[in-house]
Amino acid sequence: MDDIPGKITGNDRVTGNYRRLTVRLERSLGRVSPGQFVMVKVPDRDIFLRRPFSVYDSRGRTLTIVYRVVGKGTDALSAAVRGAPLMVLGPLGRGFTPGRGNTPIVVAGGIGYAGVRMLLKRLGDRATLFFGATGKDELCLAEDLGTTRVLASTMDGSFGFAGDVVGLLGHHLDDYLGKKPEVFACGPSGMVKSLKTLLEPVRIPCQVSVEERMACGMGLCFGCVVATRDETNPYKRACKEGPVFNLWDLLL
Amino acid sequence: MGSLAVELFGKSLKNPVMNASGTLGYGVEIEPLWGVDTMGAYVTKGLSAAPHHGNPTPRVWEERCGMLNSIGLQNVGVDRFFSHYFPLFVERRCPIIVNFFGFSEEEYLSCARSIEPHDLIVALEMNLSCPNIKMGGISFGKEASAVHAIVRSVREVTKIPLIAKLTPEVKNLVEIARAAYEGGADGLTLINTMPAAVVDVKSRRVTLKGGLSGPLLKPVALRAVHECSQAVPIPIIGVGGIMNTEDALAFLMAGASAVQVGTATFVDPFAMPKIIAGLDSWLGASGLAGISAIVGAAHG
Repeated sequence: MDDIPGKITGNDRVTGNYRRLTVRLERSLGRVSPGQFVMVKVPDRDIFLRRPFSVYDSRGRTLTIVYRVVGKGTDALSAAVRGAPLMVLGPLGRGFTPGRGNTPIVVAGGIGYAGVRMLLKRLGDRATLFFGATGKDELCLAEDLGTTRVLASTMDGSFGFAGDVVGLLGHHLDDYLGKKPEVFACGPSGMVKSLKTLLEPVRIPCQVSVEERMACGMGLCFGCVVATRDETNPYKRACKEGPVFNLWDLLL
Repeated sequence: MGSLAVELFGKSLKNPVMNASGTLGYGVEIEPLWGVDTMGAYVTKGLSAAPHHGNPTPRVWEERCGMLNSIGLQNVGVDRFFSHYFPLFVERRCPIIVNFFGFSEEEYLSCARSIEPHDLIVALEMNLSCPNIKMGGISFGKEASAVHAIVRSVREVTKIPLIAKLTPEVKNLVEIARAAYEGGADGLTLINTMPAAVVDVKSRRVTLKGGLSGPLLKPVALRAVHECSQAVPIPIIGVGGIMNTEDALAFLMAGASAVQVGTATFVDPFAMPKIIAGLDSWLGASGLAGISAIVGAAHG
């Protein structure tokens, strides 16, 4: 973990309100595990706290983040120009830990793709991505995956399965049950909840990356907790014990 | 070269900078970036006799110049702190101040009683902003008589120096400060967060009620330190919106013997080491023998 100054080298629209930010850091982030994140000091005076972003890619001193403009912080970030300075704290949190010999099923909803993209690169052909989008324009997000098998759903039915990504996975789940399946998911809370409902009867291993409002990003403030089944200490920090949790430990 | 060392409750601290309670986890979390012994002392997360789970989310909210929190005093309990986290401070020879709370007099007492004196324990810091469940949920820190009573009770069950951390949301803070002093407090920490709320315009609901912290608190805290440090003859620890060296100096000059840095660490995890280095260069340039020489410089 390090707090590293950097300069924006690119901050361009990918599609809709999705953007790709590239940062040239003074030092490399070092070893980043898939699913880890960084806290970024957005170069805007009105943005007081840092913002958490999944590491989309980290190569040498170049960090890539793919984000969706959803609020004040990301809106300000979207206005940042090339050359603007920012601070990047990371890598943070605990990422995905795929089990040996399992068949990986990766489920991503919308910008949740940014949270599993490093994992997909790591897993390569072994994984299948179930990608849920609102419409076919968003599918370009997953265009750089090479030979990884991608099954897509769109809410508007403009491409692939019409409906949500958990519905799509439901149609294919039986094909995996004899193959030691392991699910890795990142997406909106509604997606995670319905994923849990879908998997409840089969109870296969599932790791899920959660999103919470954060202040410090490194376990100092206890602001970003999620409720778990642990009765003695139910609230776990998304930034420290997470952001990746065992789905079956979470109270959703 | 002048010295940043300060003496507090008979113990020597290498500098007057510490974290505000609850803004540096259990201490161990900052270690990947800098050692806890960088600070003059570490202030524990608020501890209670029994563990507390804390509040559901949202627990934090950003404002333009600060933030709200409603963590709900989540903590592992005082016993587990000492068995599990205290050894790090022993290893680093880092002095600590034990912040603690209760929702009844009995809870304060049982927590204070359970803490054995130790050469690294500088003081106990009582959080007096908690609601007193037996008194209809009114905070212990709101009335001078209640402050006097609770401080006096705790004073009787521990030999460790006792600091009262006061809420600024009272009619007359100086009166409260005097009540704490007369009850037997050895020092005061000024100030706790201020009660605040966020309203979501879309849903027409209150998103979060919690304690306000950050730079917008600084002038409120400075006034509290300036007035109370002249009203009571015990050391004051100043806290509220300290973001940089100049802010820390302002608190010392206002009459604080030491300062606590909280929210700044979330914005810049190196805020404290930077403030300590900044104080050191300021002191060097000032020609003073020690940082204590400026404490209360803004009095009179």
